[in-house]
Amino acid sequence: MTLRTTRRAALLGAIAAPAILRTGLAQSAPIKLGTLTPQTGGGGPYGPLMIKMAQTVVGDINAAGGVLGRKIELVSEDDQTNPDAGVRAARKLIDVDRVSAIIGTWASGVTSAVAPLCWENKVMLFTVSGADSITKLPHQGYIIRTQPNSFLQTTRFGQHIAEAGAKRVFSLAAQTPFAVDVYTRLTEVMKPKGETVGQVIYDASKSTFRSEIDQALKAKPDALFLNAYTPDLTVLLRELFRAGYEGKKYTLAYAANAKLLESLPAEVVEGLVSMAPSPDIDSPAFKKVQSVVGADPDPYSCQVHDHVNLAALAIAKAGSDAGSAIHGAVRAVGNPAGTKVHRAVEGLKLLAAGKEVNFEGASGPCKFTGIGDIENCKFRFEVAEKGKYRLLSVS
Amino acid sequence: MANYLPAMAAFAGFYALMALGLNLIFGLAGMVNLGLVGFFAIGAYVSALLTVSLHWPMLAGWAVAALFSAACGAVVAVITARLKGDYLAIVTLGFAEVIRLIASNELWLTGGTTGISAIPGPWRGEVSPFAFNLIFAAIVWIVVCIVGFLFGRLADAPFGRVLRAIREDEMIAAVAGKPVLAFKVQAFALGAAVLGLAGALYAHYNAYIAPDGFQPLITIYVVLALTAGGTGTMRGAILGAILVMFLTEGTRFLGGAMAGLKPVQIAAVREGLIGATLILVLYIRPQGILPERPRTLNLEPR
Repeated sequence: MTLRTTRRAALLGAIAAPAILRTGLAQSAPIKLGTLTPQTGGGGPYGPLMIKMAQTVVGDINAAGGVLGRKIELVSEDDQTNPDAGVRAARKLIDVDRVSAIIGTWASGVTSAVAPLCWENKVMLFTVSGADSITKLPHQGYIIRTQPNSFLQTTRFGQHIAEAGAKRVFSLAAQTPFAVDVYTRLTEVMKPKGETVGQVIYDASKSTFRSEIDQALKAKPDALFLNAYTPDLTVLLRELFRAGYEGKKYTLAYAANAKLLESLPAEVVEGLVSMAPSPDIDSPAFKKVQSVVGADPDPYSCQVHDHVNLAALAIAKAGSDAGSAIHGAVRAVGNPAGTKVHRAVEGLKLLAAGKEVNFEGASGPCKFTGIGDIENCKFRFEVAEKGKYRLLSVS
Repeated sequence: MANYLPAMAAFAGFYALMALGLNLIFGLAGMVNLGLVGFFAIGAYVSALLTVSLHWPMLAGWAVAALFSAACGAVVAVITARLKGDYLAIVTLGFAEVIRLIASNELWLTGGTTGISAIPGPWRGEVSPFAFNLIFAAIVWIVVCIVGFLFGRLADAPFGRVLRAIREDEMIAAVAGKPVLAFKVQAFALGAAVLGLAGALYAHYNAYIAPDGFQPLITIYVVLALTAGGTGTMRGAILGAILVMFLTEGTRFLGGAMAGLKPVQIAAVREGLIGATLILVLYIRPQGILPERPRTLNLEPR
């Protein structure tokens, strides 16, 4: 008996909640945008700040009168960092809430699984996932990605290494599905100024890499590219120090984090260069993100800031909140001939006055290729000196 | 909403099929299979590869997916013949992870973490997304009914009786002259076939699969569905799957009633609610909502 009551009540609640919601909102008919970020699971640490950022931008736009005279309503769902759950959450956003755009998918697996739903239903998908394969899906232009893919990242890393004067680069890479592609691209980029002299792909869970390091040093490299994660990078650096290697060392910022620097003696990490894509730290949009999520915002909050601004501007530009309208106008709000704006509230006024705008966001210039990848963004290079990072350049 | 409900019905169907497959292996034969997402993945990949790379018709892909998954199930059953309880659980859990790692790393076959996209679905693209969802939900539930009926018959048949005997005490079944290993292998293979079929249907519904989609979370949901519905009965398995889907999806709509909370808090409350409800169900009915009826005669003097 107890059970039956519970179930019936739950059923009633589930049926009634959206109905109440819809009747309440029908009069003002807001524009609906959805966030699909990880609130739980592996991406859990990032999702909450992404939503906070999106809410702030939406709040600013609504306070300034909304878009096309309508308020924006943000609906947030949790993708649980899981493609299976993500697809169902996206179904709810698309079929029940009828959002025009989905913002902020984080894990590549979730983005790839959700993408077909978006293009089939003509809903715009803004993502921060990095896998190269995503924009190669037959998405008909319904995906916009602000995260540099590994092709662009490797290109910029390779250029930096070549410009630093390295002639013979050897790569030590943890076994990942992209290790081979990264090395191939690195070889291409190094070409005129230097060359790659080999790669060893290792199992990251091993506790020693002595044989891998022997193999690397046999090739007589003057620079090493350590495509690693934090635990294996710790071991690699220690063993390289022991082996007496004194050449250049390059790695990725997510592996060479502050924790790594704390856990190793200063002389072991000395000279290690860490590389990462960087938000546009001089941009007013970046300052806005800092004011919301803190002094050192993660790249995803910056990108979500840009997603919401882009969506709002595209809706205003197209004069419609249909997903297909955003799809058509999202590149037009980054018109180099227009007035440069860093926030949608500034751009919306200009668009209303019939002017062109050139949106540049916190994550970068937000200019997109035909398949929805960003054309370029800033990268940050830091070098470890006496146990601390010194900024080399943001370019 | 009209589009959303058939989609969720299809998902409930996938979970129901998996719960049925698990019910034969665990519910009847008593083998703790925590690797069911592995068989689900095998079915999904086999059918996706056959239809996408070799352009086989979908039905042939589904059939071969079920057969191949059954063969894998038989092999796992033979390898683990001497393992029971926790040990079997760990090995099968490991099996599922092995399948996921193979799918991530054998790029020439599976496309690695990029996954396989543009998997065909029945009349996808020719009919509206709403009609497609409706058609697919119907297909899935017809399959659930057929499998549920056949497995129900199997459970009542002498075959099912032997499986229950093995579940209760392997030694006694062996002493009674039953070839225990052969029965266990058959049960495992049959259950795995249904898990593989569920995976194949899932792949053609989603149109996209990748190793990330086959995480142990699905196994946990299905085990919960079976335990809440009633281990050992086919109706219980199906009801449990519907309950789990109703809970995970229904709780999304409670977000609107928690206006004062942040999205991350709502997400946490939602997961908490799902957990609490399942605990409550199992507290009120530890044997599940539709438990197995005892089939033994009461021989105690009255």
